[in-house]
Amino acid sequence: MTPVWLIARSVLIEAVRRKEIYAIVLISTLLIGAVMTVDFFNLEGLTKFYREVALQVMSAATGLTVIVLAARQLPREFENRTIYPLLAKPISRLTFLLGKLLGVMLAAAFCYGLFMLVFILGTFYLGGEIPVGLFLQFLYLQMLKMLLLAALSFWLSMVVNLDAAIALGVIFFFASSVMTNAFTLLYPFADPFGQGTITVLNYALPQLALLDLTEKTVHSEFWPPLNLGTMFALTAYAGFYILVFFGAAWYCFRRRPL
Amino acid sequence: MGEKRPIVEAKDLVVEYGKGSRKVRAVDGISFNVTEGECVGFIGANGAGKSTTIKTLMGFLFPVSGTVRMFGEDCGTVESRRRIGYLPEVALYYPFMKARELLELYGGLQGMTKHELRERIPELLNLVGLQGKGEILLRNFSKGMQQRLGIAQAIISHPEALIFDELSSGLDPVGRHDLRRVLLDIKNSGKTIFFSSHELTEVETLCDRVIMIHEGRIVTEAPVSDLMKPLNLFEIVFSMQDGNTLPESVERLGPARDGNQYRLSINDVELYSRVVHELSQAGAAIHSTSSKSRSLEEYFIELVKSSGNEEGAA
Repeated sequence: MTPVWLIARSVLIEAVRRKEIYAIVLISTLLIGAVMTVDFFNLEGLTKFYREVALQVMSAATGLTVIVLAARQLPREFENRTIYPLLAKPISRLTFLLGKLLGVMLAAAFCYGLFMLVFILGTFYLGGEIPVGLFLQFLYLQMLKMLLLAALSFWLSMVVNLDAAIALGVIFFFASSVMTNAFTLLYPFADPFGQGTITVLNYALPQLALLDLTEKTVHSEFWPPLNLGTMFALTAYAGFYILVFFGAAWYCFRRRPL
Repeated sequence: MGEKRPIVEAKDLVVEYGKGSRKVRAVDGISFNVTEGECVGFIGANGAGKSTTIKTLMGFLFPVSGTVRMFGEDCGTVESRRRIGYLPEVALYYPFMKARELLELYGGLQGMTKHELRERIPELLNLVGLQGKGEILLRNFSKGMQQRLGIAQAIISHPEALIFDELSSGLDPVGRHDLRRVLLDIKNSGKTIFFSSHELTEVETLCDRVIMIHEGRIVTEAPVSDLMKPLNLFEIVFSMQDGNTLPESVERLGPARDGNQYRLSINDVELYSRVVHELSQAGAAIHSTSSKSRSLEEYFIELVKSSGNEEGAA
């Protein structure tokens, strides 16, 4: 087994054996389940409402899980000194960091897997259908979004303390989801300096809303799956920020005295 | 027989903590070597710079100046760590993992195959006194058990050299005894061992050579046998009978007189033999002889105190 996989597996074992993920999934499931009890929609409306709430809750819950899990990986290793025997083995710090990142992603996939089970069961219970093509694209982009959040959280945990890293990660997660709309609305009313600032922020900060296909998946009758070119562009967009954040995390970590 | 190759080479090593005015020099220009097959003890008081030096050897800290090489490679490189087993001063192991899983992780990172690990792990758990504990979550392990597991992870891949920071930290007397036995076996198999310890009896028992560090500087570096030599103290109680006179050579040594008995202390084994022989020749009645040796610990305490006094005087 490769060192990256071995380290990733240890992160996954932790995520699976700790109770937090199950608690998050359970609470979110209760929230999603409550949606099924509303009776001011017809069945089609209820299915759409369910889909929208379920996907939003899943995205938010998994995003928060990823931020917390990723942000605490390195500080916990330092605090408990578990990093010493690990980095005494013949692995580079980059391998260590990649293993941690893969582990967080496997944990995110595990979390999402549990949510998917709830989502699919709920959808079939309501007699709805799942638009397979669009849904798979939704899942793929969600995973890219989680990877970006994990890389960002790694970097934040290297430059600020754990609490601040989690707080900043959460703020970014929620702010960036509305940033695209906010920029579009504000830009025409801003003065030249404001417009310049918005333009810089528009390109400097990753806009997670671009990676969110929730609305399209909910209203799938109006939206065909995205074409390959768009998917490639979105992958490249996310990939760029993932590399930037992960590169920054590695830069801080590679010569950090332990 | 060829010359033994150096495993650890530190030259003019300087390591500092902190920045600006809060900068602290933890290691101040030390140089030493550890050669193949040697067992070297690294001793010093708290804050002397032992752990800092060892962390630098492992690549966890970076020297301000000087060089450290292991197996001829710059310290901290993947290659230099491939052949080392390391036990940190204090380490907790993942509480959510089982002992077997943890050893699989560390063994796997050392490049061991699943098949090798399946054979090695039960053997290793047995060796460190954790037989039957492989499937227990580490959150249920005591500090001593964690330390035993730490030793197991350090030696899992039969490394050529072992670097232990605070060897028997957290171990009870039985654990220390077991560990000493394990290390003696490893030492006898020709492996190189470099360790820091507060347990100086352990250093006396295991080491060929000792490096003493105080306030970031090496104060003594010598084979254990050399350090122990001047520490031996022999005492002879005797009396002269039938009008025999005290031999001049013995009188010069200034024996203490108590009534008709003399008491003489000598710190050299050859001189001691000669004096006993001369007293016998001179017809003295030797009532008792005893030997007392100062421990390495006593020697170390004196050295540290005298070092402190010198600095005070300066």
